Amino acid sequence: MNALREHAEQQFQEELFELAKQDSGSKPTNWNLSPASVVKYLMGGKLSNGFEITPKYIGNQRLMEIAVATLTTDRALLLYGIPGTAKSWVSEHLAAAITGDSTLLIQGTAGTSEESIRYGWNYARLLAEGPSAEAMVSTPVMNAMQNGKIVRIEELTRISADVQDTLITILSEKTMPVPELNMEVQAVKGFNVIATANNRDKGVNELSSALKRRFNTVILPVPATQEEEVKIVQTRVESSLKTLELPASMPTLQDIQRIVRIFRELRNGVTEDGRTKIKSPSSTVSTAEAISVVNNGLALAAHFGNGKLNAHDLASGLIGAIVKDPVQDAIVWKEYLENIVKTREEWRDIYRACKELN
Amino acid sequence: MAIHILGIRHHGVGSAKNVADRLALIKPDIILVEGPPEISEMLLAIGHANLVPPAAIMCYNTDNPKESVFYPFAEYSPEWVAAQYANKHGIPVKAIDLPVSISLAQKREAEEANPEEAPVSKDPLGYLADIAGFGSGEEWWEYHFEQQKENTAEHFEAVMHVMESLRAEGVESSLDKENVPREAYMRTLIRQCQNEIYTNIAVICGAWHAPALLNLDGTAKSDAKILKVLPKSKVKVTATWIPWTNSRLSMSSGYGAGIYSPGWYEHQWHAKDDAEITWLTKVATALRDKQIDISTAHVIEAFVLSRSLSSLRNKYYVSLEELNEATLSVMCMGDGILLELIKKELIIGSKLGRVPEELPKVPLQEDFEQNLKSLRLKLTAEQKQYDLDLRKEIDLGRSILFFRLEVLGIPWARRTVSRSKGTFKESWFTEWSPDMMIELIDKAFLGNTIESASQSVILGRCAQTQSIAEVSELIQKCIPAELFEGIDALLDRIVELSTVSSDIIDLMNALPALIEVSRYGNVRKSDLSILETIVKQLLVKVYIGLNNACYGLDEDNSTSMFSLITKLNNAIRLYDDTEYLQQWHETLHKMVDNTGVHPIILGCVCRLLLDSQQMDEQEVDKRIAFALSVSNDPYQVASWLEGFLKGNGMILIYDNRLWNLIYSWVSSLSKEIFMELLPLLRRTFSKFEFGERRQIGEKAKKGLATERHSTATAAQNFNEERAALILPIIKELAGFNS
Repeated sequence: MNALREHAEQQFQEELFELAKQDSGSKPTNWNLSPASVVKYLMGGKLSNGFEITPKYIGNQRLMEIAVATLTTDRALLLYGIPGTAKSWVSEHLAAAITGDSTLLIQGTAGTSEESIRYGWNYARLLAEGPSAEAMVSTPVMNAMQNGKIVRIEELTRISADVQDTLITILSEKTMPVPELNMEVQAVKGFNVIATANNRDKGVNELSSALKRRFNTVILPVPATQEEEVKIVQTRVESSLKTLELPASMPTLQDIQRIVRIFRELRNGVTEDGRTKIKSPSSTVSTAEAISVVNNGLALAAHFGNGKLNAHDLASGLIGAIVKDPVQDAIVWKEYLENIVKTREEWRDIYRACKELN
Repeated sequence: MAIHILGIRHHGVGSAKNVADRLALIKPDIILVEGPPEISEMLLAIGHANLVPPAAIMCYNTDNPKESVFYPFAEYSPEWVAAQYANKHGIPVKAIDLPVSISLAQKREAEEANPEEAPVSKDPLGYLADIAGFGSGEEWWEYHFEQQKENTAEHFEAVMHVMESLRAEGVESSLDKENVPREAYMRTLIRQCQNEIYTNIAVICGAWHAPALLNLDGTAKSDAKILKVLPKSKVKVTATWIPWTNSRLSMSSGYGAGIYSPGWYEHQWHAKDDAEITWLTKVATALRDKQIDISTAHVIEAFVLSRSLSSLRNKYYVSLEELNEATLSVMCMGDGILLELIKKELIIGSKLGRVPEELPKVPLQEDFEQNLKSLRLKLTAEQKQYDLDLRKEIDLGRSILFFRLEVLGIPWARRTVSRSKGTFKESWFTEWSPDMMIELIDKAFLGNTIESASQSVILGRCAQTQSIAEVSELIQKCIPAELFEGIDALLDRIVELSTVSSDIIDLMNALPALIEVSRYGNVRKSDLSILETIVKQLLVKVYIGLNNACYGLDEDNSTSMFSLITKLNNAIRLYDDTEYLQQWHETLHKMVDNTGVHPIILGCVCRLLLDSQQMDEQEVDKRIAFALSVSNDPYQVASWLEGFLKGNGMILIYDNRLWNLIYSWVSSLSKEIFMELLPLLRRTFSKFEFGERRQIGEKAKKGLATERHSTATAAQNFNEERAALILPIIKELAGFNS
């Protein structure tokens, strides 16, 4: 296998297999697992035969339960949240666990057209043979409907409003009319849609209320506690170390705690002890950014250092992640560096490293 | 002879339904409930048309209402349901727990012996919850005993069985120590009933106690022994009903019953089989009232989601949790803020209980109502305004009551600015909410009358405070409330504090109020002459200390000092004692040349001296030029000017003397220097209102003002009544806030 990144259903094949083996709960039609097992797959835990399931989502189990329960009903699921709160991650794993296929994916952009959601035409064939089922070009949505799978739509709010609304019939009547052929594609049981959207960007296309009504919304929050966030960064860094095959050793817990603390403090605008107010940068300093800072640092350490993460490796990524606006964020970062980082005795190395880069 | 022991969860809806069904089946001839015998008589009132739950029985020490215990009831409390059954069928209902008099004595003993908190041990049901995989004992009970009710006999047998096994395993409850005498007492009373004519006894008690009440014959002797060692108590306990609220039921500590969702319980109690759907329609209606569009389809979808959530969690019923999560996800777009609205309105609910008139009341409440009656006041939810003429006896009485309630912290009446002139007029707004009655009852321990209760509030605060300013504020409150005992104590306290206090700022805060009281105070019964002496002592202290107190302050403190000095200056001028006024001016004079003082204070002092004609214009002119010279730190210049103008641009427009001073200073500046100073002046002037700035600009066009004093008044056609209307505003503008 030479893919840069494996799909969830490949990477966690064994876990899915073990879960299915011991799954005794009732499964909705065309589901690979029972809803309770899907939640277990996401949250992790031990199976009755001692097999360990790794947690995919670290956070509130209730949110995952709502998400899975939604997919058992005929409503679609909308995962909402600021960037970097594991929306796409959760949707990928949901699709992988429920149908064993997370590849039915539409990336929403301003240029996403109706053809890429419903169906398109093979024009050569259309001209040669006239309209026929063979001349149709199917889309992930249509495939999912025909096979009772789950289709994922990333960044739903980026798609222009009139294109978004093509989903309404699909979601409410579970059918896709093809007037050119005087036929329709009816969804098979098990079909559903998981959409993700981010509520931070300005200038996006708000869902029409008709479409909104067809989604159950789950807002994925930023991690509630420092411990939770440290755990997320740890697991993700560990797995990417493996897939990227970096010759670097896993960073120490202290290092991760430190990065997470910097991110949390800047995000919340207050120090962890709640005593000092801090300015927040304009960018979202999400957990995903923290993960990439550590990954970046590891790459630096692996290729240009001794394979051990040090403050210099972290510093460059850190500044890049936080200072997105060269004027305002630079001030925020400088203040934080001088007022908070400098005063912490055990943070000397990182202070010096950042200072050198400034 | 049969004894039916029905183990319940207090305030459990399912328990209550089971109790109701079971009682109808076994038809007892007496019902015994858990609760002190003192409340037995009160239980008879349950079923009375005017006793509307939530309501609580308050038991208090008749001689010291501060010692009190509350027993809240909701309509779905099993005890309430049982008492209702008893009263309806004309059979006696009795409470059989330890008497309040004894438990109060126990509490006192425990506090004396060991004031520390007892270690909290685990909820016994928690063990079962752990085994069965539930989050808490509460959830376990909810799952097993609050839902189904096909066969009530089996249900109560099962409850008994569970508790028996737990107790047999030696599981301890956190209340074990208290439980031993309590259960002994309960057994004793049940035996008493047996010896009387009753043959079919129903006992409603907390599930944990149920097994302990089974063995009656074998425990008679040991019970007597246990009860013998209980503290003897001669406390006389009075019990009475008081209204309660849902939000109080939901409080987990203090007087609460620890129900997190009284509104939901209430809904479950009234609902038939479709509690979940009717609940969601309620939620939808509430959201629609908040202008959020919720369609019927939303309700359907939310119901579907809540059902699949509960089946995902392996529950055979939908609980509030799932309903909330479905509401959040389907109706609120995942937005928790909207759910908070529902929480307050529906989940907790705003229900308020009612208590019949003829029941005995807490003395404080009785006194309050007595007061209302004699002063012909009514409790209405609408706003009502009272314009009081203090020369009339009834109005004076009302005013005194309002002020006393203010001291007590019952926000029923709020004072507003009186429209008519004269110190004998007062205006009040009243707006009653039933919550206030509960707040009042809450304060029952403070005293038996409004007067004595507010008195003890004053005395309490008086004993605690270390600040003279607070004491003087209290004195100001006491006088219109005619709390003379309080005033005496406060005066003693102020003497005590003033001898040791060296906090000039505190003194300066206190003085304006004290001076006002000593001048205008209503000196009817209290001897306020001592206040004169105190004021004089304090003034001297301020005179001595002020200079140092102003030294080296930062900007914020200087700004507050600036306003303190201004206020004190007004007060001293009001005080009208030449000797002390003279000394005040001397103090200010000393400050003018002090270099370590913030310029805003210096500017202010300069102005005060100018106003009281203690500094001539030439001198002031010189000082303005000096303070505003270019070489000074720009920021200081701006502060000085701000202090000098007292932060008010109006004065430049109306006081020509000041205008000319500033004007001639500006015109004396060379062009370059003026350009340099311009930003600073801008800084000061930017704080003024736009209109003021415009007027100043227009005045500047005309140059030096020629009219020295513009005090001519047109004496003809002067309408005093209309002129009086603007007096309150002028007062406010001039800073004489009452």
